[in-house]
Amino acid sequence: MEGRCAVETWAQFGFSGRSYKVKILCGFGTDVLICTGTEEIYVFSKRERKITTVLLLPAAVSDLVGNQDKQLIYVACRSGVYRVNLQFLLHRDQSSQADASSSPAELKISQECLVVGADEVSSLLLVGSVLLTLCQRDASWLLTLYKTPKQTASTSHEEFGSFHLPVVSAVDCGAAESNRGPRKGSVLICIHSGDVEASSPSNASAESTVAQDHFHLEPLLFKLLFGVEAALAKSPVILCGLPDGRLCFLPLRLPGSRLRVLHSLEQPVCFVGASVVTETGHAQCLVAAGEQGRVVLIKTDKAGSEGGSAMAAFTEGCVPGPVWCGCMDKSCFYYSTGADLLRLDLSEGSFARESKERGEETSGMTAAALQSPSSLNVCRVIALAEPACSTAAGDVQLLGVSARGQLQRICLPAGRVDEGSSKLPSTQVSRSVRDLLSAIGDVCERASVLKTVIKSKNQFLRLLNHAVSVSFLLMADTTTDLPIKEKPIRCHFETSWSRLLQKDSLSLVCFLHNSSPFVLERGWTLSITVSPLSYSSSPAGESSSTNFSFPFHDLRPGQTFEASLPIAAAGDASFPMTVSCSLIFSLSSLLGEEEVAASFAGLQSSCISLPLSTLTVDWLHALQLNSPTAAHKMATVQPSSAAADSIQTFLSSRQLRCSGRTNKGGESAAKPESEKYSASVWVSSEIVRDTLKPKKSSNLDAKESIRDPEDLCLSLLERLLSEDTEGVKMGCQGDKIALSTSVAHARGPNGAAMKLTVKEINVGEEESTDKEATIEVQIESSSLAAVCGLHHAVLRRIQTLLQSATEKAASTKNVQILGLRRALQRAEIQQSQISGAFGEVVSTVQRDRLLLSVYQELRRNPLLIV
Amino acid sequence: MYQPPSLLEKWSQENNELVNKCKQQEAGGGAVSRDHRQSSLRWCSSEFHKLLRKIQGIPPHVDHSQLELAVVYNTCVCFTAQSQFSEAELLLKEATERVLQVTGNNADTSDPLVLWRAGLKSAGNTALHPHVLYLLCLQWALWLAKCQLENIGELQEQMSSLCEIVCDGVGDCSPSEAKGRLSKSPLLVMEPKRLTELLQICTSIAQGAEKLNEGRSSEALSDLQAASALPATRALVAYTHLLSGSCLAHMNRPQMALQCYKRALETDSRCVCALYRSMLIYRQLGNTQAEIQALRLLHSTLMLPPATEPVLGGIQPLSPSLLLSSQSLSRLLSVPSALSVLYSLALKCVLSGRVTEGVEHYLDLLAALHSEDQHAVDAEVSVLPRMLELYLEAGTALLFTRRPADCMAFCNEVISTTLELVPEKVVLEEPEEGIGGDARGLSVEGEDKVAMLLWAAAAYLLQGHCHTHLKDWKQAVTHYTRCINLLVKVHLKNRDFQPQIPAADVNVKHGKDLCTLQRMKGLSLAWRGISFTQMDQLREALRDLQLSLQAFPDYTGAGLWCGEVLWRLGRKHEAAACWEKTWSLTTQTSVEKLPLYLQDPQSGPLLDSVELRLRIQELGLT
Repeated sequence: MEGRCAVETWAQFGFSGRSYKVKILCGFGTDVLICTGTEEIYVFSKRERKITTVLLLPAAVSDLVGNQDKQLIYVACRSGVYRVNLQFLLHRDQSSQADASSSPAELKISQECLVVGADEVSSLLLVGSVLLTLCQRDASWLLTLYKTPKQTASTSHEEFGSFHLPVVSAVDCGAAESNRGPRKGSVLICIHSGDVEASSPSNASAESTVAQDHFHLEPLLFKLLFGVEAALAKSPVILCGLPDGRLCFLPLRLPGSRLRVLHSLEQPVCFVGASVVTETGHAQCLVAAGEQGRVVLIKTDKAGSEGGSAMAAFTEGCVPGPVWCGCMDKSCFYYSTGADLLRLDLSEGSFARESKERGEETSGMTAAALQSPSSLNVCRVIALAEPACSTAAGDVQLLGVSARGQLQRICLPAGRVDEGSSKLPSTQVSRSVRDLLSAIGDVCERASVLKTVIKSKNQFLRLLNHAVSVSFLLMADTTTDLPIKEKPIRCHFETSWSRLLQKDSLSLVCFLHNSSPFVLERGWTLSITVSPLSYSSSPAGESSSTNFSFPFHDLRPGQTFEASLPIAAAGDASFPMTVSCSLIFSLSSLLGEEEVAASFAGLQSSCISLPLSTLTVDWLHALQLNSPTAAHKMATVQPSSAAADSIQTFLSSRQLRCSGRTNKGGESAAKPESEKYSASVWVSSEIVRDTLKPKKSSNLDAKESIRDPEDLCLSLLERLLSEDTEGVKMGCQGDKIALSTSVAHARGPNGAAMKLTVKEINVGEEESTDKEATIEVQIESSSLAAVCGLHHAVLRRIQTLLQSATEKAASTKNVQILGLRRALQRAEIQQSQISGAFGEVVSTVQRDRLLLSVYQELRRNPLLIV
Repeated sequence: MYQPPSLLEKWSQENNELVNKCKQQEAGGGAVSRDHRQSSLRWCSSEFHKLLRKIQGIPPHVDHSQLELAVVYNTCVCFTAQSQFSEAELLLKEATERVLQVTGNNADTSDPLVLWRAGLKSAGNTALHPHVLYLLCLQWALWLAKCQLENIGELQEQMSSLCEIVCDGVGDCSPSEAKGRLSKSPLLVMEPKRLTELLQICTSIAQGAEKLNEGRSSEALSDLQAASALPATRALVAYTHLLSGSCLAHMNRPQMALQCYKRALETDSRCVCALYRSMLIYRQLGNTQAEIQALRLLHSTLMLPPATEPVLGGIQPLSPSLLLSSQSLSRLLSVPSALSVLYSLALKCVLSGRVTEGVEHYLDLLAALHSEDQHAVDAEVSVLPRMLELYLEAGTALLFTRRPADCMAFCNEVISTTLELVPEKVVLEEPEEGIGGDARGLSVEGEDKVAMLLWAAAAYLLQGHCHTHLKDWKQAVTHYTRCINLLVKVHLKNRDFQPQIPAADVNVKHGKDLCTLQRMKGLSLAWRGISFTQMDQLREALRDLQLSLQAFPDYTGAGLWCGEVLWRLGRKHEAAACWEKTWSLTTQTSVEKLPLYLQDPQSGPLLDSVELRLRIQELGLT
């Protein structure tokens, strides 16, 4: 304590003697209010460094409290409690400042401001909206609660409760003292539990300003002193120090609480406060000082005695000299003995407590600390207050009023910073360790759950990535139009006849070759749609398409997936049919059924569909060749089908007889032997030769060229029957070998027998000059449907054949004018026939017949394809 | 020719002026605060007293006596209104003595009864007689205010004749006569007729309460029923009905009592006491729905803002509340505070299965306790349980309504408040007969450490239940374990018994704390066992359930689950035996007596007894 205090006298006001209660009230902006126990209250402005206003009350002032928010002060006088609206007064004051700048304005507080008509109020306290007054009535102390109005305009202060405490007559030494003068000091402060502050920030902000009589006590100490109930109800506790030395407390908001005695100092209490403020803003020590210097420090004794639980420790001690007045800052208690201003460092005691073991020593330490307050060498201070702004730079400023009536600012040398290291008792440590362990367990559990989630998400992302890559690949295919062989994911088909349960059925085998670098995994599905090319057969417009889907499990690059699908049993299929296959990627199968079902009901149908290829399976694919071996087979299995045929024939003939020639189907079936339908296609043999050659050369090296027309026909037939067009291939390889002549007998998918003849003819009978070697493909069958279907198929084949050979065939520019002319002629005749058929009013039967004959004509005399 | 007014005239003029002033102030009294009224009364009484001293300065004389007695009357009314009974009584005594002097009689006695008899007799048929009677009225009021009903009984006949004279006397006079008398006679602060009426009914009420207190219910009943016909304010008539109801309730006629209470309420809707009494009767009758309804009404009535100073006696200096101050009456008229009514309502709702409603009431109650407006007003001993118990009960109610998160918040609050104060070790002694339970275990600060520990444990137990409800078995085990760890800190100390005898009769002999402790032990262990069962840790589960049965053998839940665990462990015959034993247990300890938070949680896994019986049957077959 080397540094000396700087004392600066701010103002002088005339009064003498110390027999009155002097109080300094700070916190009204730059104004400080001083009541000196007379009728006057001085308003000192720190900014102007002078007393600006003097409030003149009707009687001697005994206490003064303020409400910063509303700028109100309550003044306790002999005759009652007055309320003064400070803001209003000071504003008026400022306006009249100009003329009366030299002398302070004097304001008389009239009787109108009287709000509580109670006599001899010795102390006041404001807690929120509650005004408390403490006064002595006959034989008891009376603590009365008044409700302050919310509107400052209204003056009604409703009394809503009061508490009695009987006066103790035997006040040992204080009795003599109190006879000497009217001074009957009582102290009224309000203690808040520390954790309340956190919940209501308005309190916290108010704390710094109202702090003179409001303190925030550490929750544990609060609970120990005032009970769990008060802490739980977050009730402020009123603490009053009486002249008989008792320290009483009252939980304000607890129903049924009473004014109870906390401690007795056995000498008039002149100061109560809380100090040793931690970082959280909670005071750890409650201090009460008596007039003769007895001080009690109330702290938490965490180590406790026998039970191990925390206890409140009351440490009593005596400080030298009478205590005239006191004030507190964050760690120190300052008091004036009249002769000197002393500082008691309370944190020192508590610091020593932390480091030392518990027991006698600690109380000894604290007592020792009480014994040796440090002198600050300021004398005759009769009132002290700590202005709110003082703690900015670590040095402490106090406001004091000296016995001679001077308002002084006392600057103290900077105190040291204390740090409180918190130490928990072992029980708490073990509990917290247990808590931590269980928390770790929880975290671990959670982490593993999260890990699996992340894993599955990664998996999901990988699959999605694949899916996207695959779909890009397939989309690229469609744009670049690669030949089918070079597509990374391609599929081709084979048709094959099989007998099952004595019934022939045609099945289509699909081969999907995955030559892409990606694995087709779970989530991918091959979908094949089979639908007839013409929908005419289905009556009600319903599509007779069939869907097949084959989910992939793990189709690695280079692997081939094989699936066989039944297309039709013999006799009930409508050829040609379109087979379109696509790859489908569905999100739902990726996510897993249960998740999808649970969360995204709408997602179930969402999938990506990538078209792979669309092909046509035509009559040629579905032919059953009557090879020698096949004939054998047929012979063995003939009876049933033959019988069926004959029955059908019979039935059809009956039908015919009844209804006449009605339709194509009936007609074809009705004349199996007598009337054969035929259709033919003519192709220039040169083109055929050209187009077949490269294929042959690549496939069969032995035959360099096909000179022999016989050979040519045979190879064309072979080609027609077995050619792998658009990826569809006839599966009956064994039968193909048996082809020796250029005539093939076969049975169509509807069971009709048919003949396919390939031979070389010469077209252009009349003028042999321009003879063109021509190959005729003739289709004969008793079934009109078979003829039509096969004709269509053969045309398609030849078309594709020619398409693949357009470049080579471009050189042959022989235009068959002759043929054209004749064809034109025929076309004209047919046109007239058709129009005639439609034009004349004939029966539908006749018209159909006419149209059929035109059709046959068309089929029989084709144009030569060059 | 000016004739200076005689002293008599001057005094009577002064008296009349004062009376008028008094009446004026009282007429405007509604607006002025109570303090103001008090001070004006004080002023009046001092002025009257001054005047009286002037009058009494001269020896008693017949001419003055009428005025003197009137002033005495006025002064005494003012004194009585300020509860200065002894001063008033002294004045009355002096006045009587002076009356005796005037009439020439001399009484040496100081006994007020003898004095009054003599006074009345001497006044006889003189003009003074009414005034003496007025003074007797005041004496009556004083006795009534001081609850000296026996004196009133002694002068019963004089009183009844007084009533007749005062009430009829004024009525007899023809208007002109009355006017003439009024002009001559000095004014009075309070009309004697009014005073008499007030006194009559108040006396009936006070006597009725006294008799009821002494157990003479039927006697009191007839008096009160007679009194209910007297002319009086609604509030006082309501009191007579109310007291009649109480008499009937005493005579074990609850339905008739209810009728009386109903009439009291009909007479004066602010008679909350009648509502309260009705509620008590419903409770006694076991009519829970009606009780809840009554509680709700009571609460809402109590929450009403107080009426603008219920004017019981009209604008009169003497109020009925002054005259009805006997203890037995105030005991009969006392009504618990709004908060405790709310608490009863909440608890009743939860216990009778209206849990959601109960929760609302609990939350209202807690909100009220936390509100800024709540202040420690009622010094009367509160019926409310401790705050922490309220928290726990509210938490339990929340759990019942499947709001475990809220319940846990409450429990956390309880734990954070208590845990720091829970001692490492605490000894639970058998309470001594003489001192009772209050002296034990109380620390300096007045907090019971055992209770603190039990509260914290109960909070953990509830949290365990919450986790059980959420099917978070691991956390449930943690919290049950914490509860158990706290509970084992209590050491039982017993003078007569060996400690820790798990006998059924321990519950009866030991205090409430021990019962709570054992039940909580049983519950926490059992539920930890059940949680272990859910986590398939059957060995731990079996251990816990068996320990639970040791601590608290009556808990059927533990017994059933113990059997279940045994069954799962393959010890089927033991399981069957265990179940049979559990079913054979007599009825559970009455649930109503237990704190709410110690009841079996209504959530969590359940065992179906029927299914268990089936299993036993199958076991028997195989």
